[in-house]
Amino acid sequence: MTRWFEDIVIDEAFPLGDHTFSEDEIIRFGTLYDPQYFHVDPELAKHSHFGGLVASGWHTVSVGHRKMVDALDAEADRLKAQGDEPGVSGPSPGVNSMEFKAPVRSGDTVTYELIVTGKRPSNSLPGWGLLFNRLTAVNQRGELVYRAEIVGFSKLRDYSMPIKLRVLLALTRVPVIGPLLRRST
Amino acid sequence: MTNPVTQNRRHFEDLVVDEVINLGHTTVTKEMIFTFAREFDPLPFHIDEEAARKSLLGGLASSGWQTGALSLRMLVDRFLSTIASAGGLGFQDLKWKNPVMAGDTIGGTVTIAGLRRSGSHPQWGIVTLDFDIRNQADKPVMTMQLSNLVECRGVAA
Repeated sequence: MTRWFEDIVIDEAFPLGDHTFSEDEIIRFGTLYDPQYFHVDPELAKHSHFGGLVASGWHTVSVGHRKMVDALDAEADRLKAQGDEPGVSGPSPGVNSMEFKAPVRSGDTVTYELIVTGKRPSNSLPGWGLLFNRLTAVNQRGELVYRAEIVGFSKLRDYSMPIKLRVLLALTRVPVIGPLLRRST
Repeated sequence: MTNPVTQNRRHFEDLVVDEVINLGHTTVTKEMIFTFAREFDPLPFHIDEEAARKSLLGGLASSGWQTGALSLRMLVDRFLSTIASAGGLGFQDLKWKNPVMAGDTIGGTVTIAGLRRSGSHPQWGIVTLDFDIRNQADKPVMTMQLSNLVECRGVAA
């Protein structure tokens, strides 16, 4: 999936496409994960300061994550089509900040964009790098819906394991020594 | 104007710093992981057991966003539905510390870390909530600090 760590360009903007939120899906997500009255009940929601039903912030963010995964897959397909081997993206260690700026109502169309604002090799995971991703979501009126600073792991293409680590890894596979080593590390 | 939905709930003035909310717990099944991941996070290590075994996570694990969503659900049931909540502002310092594997049971506590009145909107206060989510072996799986708006008593909107 996606490019190798080394090929990721800082500050290049990736459009991730858009998503139109229906009342049904807002209520479905809210019922499962965030059943506050303004996320699940259009009538009661009129009493809230929103004045009507709005999507859970966690819902708009989860959709944004899906749009990012789809865009990474599309990038991998593009690389394969030109005969290159795509890179590998890993799990995320966390989110530095997430700001919900404007509510999402049924019928709203939200457009997502990803910018990698920085990258460095990981200290804790040899062979992997960290990407600092800024994700923004904007509605059809151009209002910012949310802005997030998300960290992601990405595999290094040009990595060879240091000899010390290779020896350690080989030793962990030896009976008796292996379990002891694994316990101590 | 009083909000009839929230008028009998605890308001901003009723909350105290250091109050601890016990979230109870929830078990994350393989089916739950597949269902969430197919819709929101279709990476191989969330939708394919074989690919998951070979990945960094070492087995089928929930999407971090699902871990967050399930934690949020526990907070809504135990706390946000019982106060005059006016919606989330966002969160910071979210860390996925250990993967949640299929069959794990997660739970934990949320602590009120801060309370302040909104500078621009006198009808609201802001509560900051520290999440400490752990698995059945008491290993931390997720921490974050969520900020949420809460209605104040007797202030016209």
